[in-house]
Amino acid sequence: MSAKERNWWIVAGIVIVLYALFPIAWIVSLSFKAPADVANGQFLPSVFTWQNYSQILTGDAASLFLPALRNSFGICLIATFLACILSMFAAYAIARLDFRGKKLILSTALAVAIFPVISIVTPLFNLWRLIGLYDTWPGLIIPYLSLTLPLSIWTMSAFFREIPWEMEQAAQVDGATSWQAFRKVIVPLAAPGVFTTAILAFFLAWNDFVYGISLTSTSAARPVPAALGLFSGASQFEDPTGATAAAAVVVTIPVIILVLIFQRRIVSGLTNGAVKG
Amino acid sequence: MRRPWRSRLAAAALAVVAMGGLAACGSGAAGPPVLTWYINPDDGGQATIAQKCTQAAGGRYTIATSTLPRESSEQRQQLVRRLAANDSSIDIMSLDPPYIPEYAQAGFLAPIPPDVAARVTQGTVQSAIDGATWDGKLVTVPFWANTQLLWYKKSAAAAAGIDMSQPVTWDQLIQAAGKANTNIAAQGRRAESLTVWFNALIASAGGAVIAQNSTDPTQIKLGLDTPQGDRAAEVMSTFANSGREGAAFSTAGEDESVAAFEAGTAGWMVNWPFVWSKAKSGVEGGTLQQSVVDDYGWTLYPRVDADKPAAPPYGGINLGVGAFSAHPDLAYEATECITSTQNQKEYFLTNGNPASRSSVFSDPEVLADFPMAPTIEQSLQLAAPRPQTPYYSEVSGSIQREYHPPGSVTPGVTGKNATELIDAVLSGRQLL
Amino acid sequence: MTTTVPPATTAPAHAAPRGGATDRAKAEQKLGWYLAGPAFVVMLLVTAYPIGQAVYQSLFAYRLTDPENRRFVGLSNYGVVLSDAIWWQSIATTVLITVITVAVELVLGFLLAMVMANALKSIRPVVRAAILLPYAIITVVSAFAWQFAFDLNSGFVNSWFSWIPGITADTDWFGSFGSSILVICLAEIWKTTPFISLLLLAGLAQVPDVLQEAAKVDGATWWQRMFKVTIPNMKAAIMVALLFRTLDAFRVFDSIFVMTAGANGTESVSFLAYRQTIARLEVGLGSAVSVLLFIAVVLIAFGFIKGFKVDLSQARGEK
Repeated sequence: MSAKERNWWIVAGIVIVLYALFPIAWIVSLSFKAPADVANGQFLPSVFTWQNYSQILTGDAASLFLPALRNSFGICLIATFLACILSMFAAYAIARLDFRGKKLILSTALAVAIFPVISIVTPLFNLWRLIGLYDTWPGLIIPYLSLTLPLSIWTMSAFFREIPWEMEQAAQVDGATSWQAFRKVIVPLAAPGVFTTAILAFFLAWNDFVYGISLTSTSAARPVPAALGLFSGASQFEDPTGATAAAAVVVTIPVIILVLIFQRRIVSGLTNGAVKG
Repeated sequence: MRRPWRSRLAAAALAVVAMGGLAACGSGAAGPPVLTWYINPDDGGQATIAQKCTQAAGGRYTIATSTLPRESSEQRQQLVRRLAANDSSIDIMSLDPPYIPEYAQAGFLAPIPPDVAARVTQGTVQSAIDGATWDGKLVTVPFWANTQLLWYKKSAAAAAGIDMSQPVTWDQLIQAAGKANTNIAAQGRRAESLTVWFNALIASAGGAVIAQNSTDPTQIKLGLDTPQGDRAAEVMSTFANSGREGAAFSTAGEDESVAAFEAGTAGWMVNWPFVWSKAKSGVEGGTLQQSVVDDYGWTLYPRVDADKPAAPPYGGINLGVGAFSAHPDLAYEATECITSTQNQKEYFLTNGNPASRSSVFSDPEVLADFPMAPTIEQSLQLAAPRPQTPYYSEVSGSIQREYHPPGSVTPGVTGKNATELIDAVLSGRQLL
Repeated sequence: MTTTVPPATTAPAHAAPRGGATDRAKAEQKLGWYLAGPAFVVMLLVTAYPIGQAVYQSLFAYRLTDPENRRFVGLSNYGVVLSDAIWWQSIATTVLITVITVAVELVLGFLLAMVMANALKSIRPVVRAAILLPYAIITVVSAFAWQFAFDLNSGFVNSWFSWIPGITADTDWFGSFGSSILVICLAEIWKTTPFISLLLLAGLAQVPDVLQEAAKVDGATWWQRMFKVTIPNMKAAIMVALLFRTLDAFRVFDSIFVMTAGANGTESVSFLAYRQTIARLEVGLGSAVSVLLFIAVVLIAFGFIKGFKVDLSQARGEK
């Protein structure tokens, strides 16, 4: 590669990094502007202030934001966990066993993945209020499975396909039962795939907005994206731009941490089927 | 191989059920009954009142607050969805008046005991009582009453040579703004504030959005396609095309209006009294010059026709008690505490939201902080409520659709279109 | 939202020979369903049941606050929706947003993939991490960021770009249809291009180096190699990316909800359905809109798979 070419790729790389980071930098910058400074027309605040963060973490808006943060973490983690458990067994069967209906299960996952969420939110709302799941954690966890399950089944099946299953047979030859072989040999090999799937599923659940605004109404279950629209200025007529920006930054931090630590895994999880094709 | 799988699944299912149980019995603790008060977002005033009334109750009840979304239409969605589920956790609700008929008609409000009704309406301004009433009966407790004033910069009025102590019309304002080379800030955004503006215009012209009311949606007669409706549309269109409406008029809400007024790009503004609290806290925070605030003037809402008094917007919050509440008696007791004259006064002073009780407006402390209090009270006497109908959200939504953007409103056409749309929507023949 | 290309369903090496329904094959069949069944049932429960319920409810005139007047109206809700201009307008808006975003994302995503494929080892992790951020960020957060940036009060766009003719300090981006759609599309493109570029990157890796070298030896220019070798060889990846992004874009909701709330004709089909059922509580009419949206999505998916011959099994690795 010539030096000129090399420089060109470096410049292109920098452009991409700027492209990706710029809007994030903007919302971070905005979150440090005082209410009166929001309209300064500049990218950066005139004076840096922690005011917005104290408003959402310890001030007026804390009673809105902190429960929402707790709900988001709790609901998304449980939904991710359940999806991973369910799809672990399904993906094992798909990658490992020969049975009729395998195509049906994968096609169903595809169909569920392209399902318009808005189409099922009303019937769910009606059902939930009848059986008392409206505005509760399970009331969100169950629909979140419709987001996380299809992705988990696909991603995990793709990972499981790469596992050298002969080792399981070898273990069985050595006298282990099939369950022992599965647990002692396959689980450690499958763990990275399961983990990557969990991250992707968590992102999906974390991103949900429609279920969040439609199936909750108090801080008992309201997740953060739905709570972002609830902040208020000093009166109901004043725009809470700074508080919204600060809350947006706080909910983005976990995502950034996950991306920075597990970027390689996430990429392989997203592209697995295609790369290995 | 089977058993571990089953037990794992069972554990997962158990976890789901257990969480449901936990969520369901979170409020079942012993002690005095907890009354949940669903409040609209404010500057913490309602939470403070809840604490004070909890103390005053001496252990008979405690009040916990839960915050609703910012837009009144979204507040309604949240509450109605819960009430449709016969939710017993809703004890007290802060309700925006135009939506009250819907709650009352659907049976979502517990009936007010007559003695409570007599006490809470005593000395209360008439528009607040009207806003708390449906079908001839008081159904909610008036809490605070809001109205829009015409705010002006004394310097702009002087530059235009207009006497603001006399009633002014929208046309005169546009002329004056032209002379002073400044703008007039109003709310042209496609939101409830647009209905607020339009309703004030048609009421000031002597008309009404709903000419003949009914609880049967197909029997409602509208007053949009009338000379008064056309006059309102004319004022709207003239204003929006005057060149004095300011930038981004079609997306401006109340806060954008204040920003333009504080920045000086607008010399006049129609807005709620929160602008005064906001200006004062801006001075305290060092972001606004005292001289700017000293330049503030206020008077009654602009007229449509010089010979007819203005009908300013009416807003505010009334308290409703949920029909499915386990403790409606205690809840009504609590609303009396919440809406006490003392609490109304403090809420006015701390949050800038005007009281519904007349005596508060002449209180010396209130007058010291809010020199415009007498103007607010006068405006409340004149104020016209938005159409009272169980189908308010349909009516308001249709108005927002047909009269937005305000610059495209055509007298004689828009009123007809809006009438057709509302008729079709109310009879289920069209989407909204 | 996010989807990977489906995994292979190739039978594992040890599978029992077909035809002979041995005990072992039967046991395997049973075990397969025991393992995969729960996930399958849960998927059906959380989607098939509600959509069936939506179809049923769409046959009634039913307002949540007025349950006494609930009555059967047959298919007339569908008649109301399909004869209403606002439905077709929301379809047009949705299609417009879908076409613009998917087209731009495909080109942009391809460029990103090229850069990532060619980037030096030293900067590759940085580029990769950066590109994952828009993908992973919450859509609502991204929508707020873009809205605040263009907003007349809180934004900086007007003051930064005032040198462009037509942009002044008073340019109201959310005041008209065209500029609102532009900002909505920008936000969507920023957020979802990384996903497309990662799928395309995987596709690029599928192009055999031998072919590239052969074309080079034959004296093909860079462009010729791109259009004659690279793109044809990654057709499957392109089509899969296109399919998922199109279906995703067609369901656009969050950005519109945050940025314009449907003003100036920017309402998408999802938003229309949301407003009928959740905001207006007109469960019957809203369910009809929901069912029609569902049918539209199915038709698009079907059209892609049959019309464009998107071969999912090829992407799955079944040769």
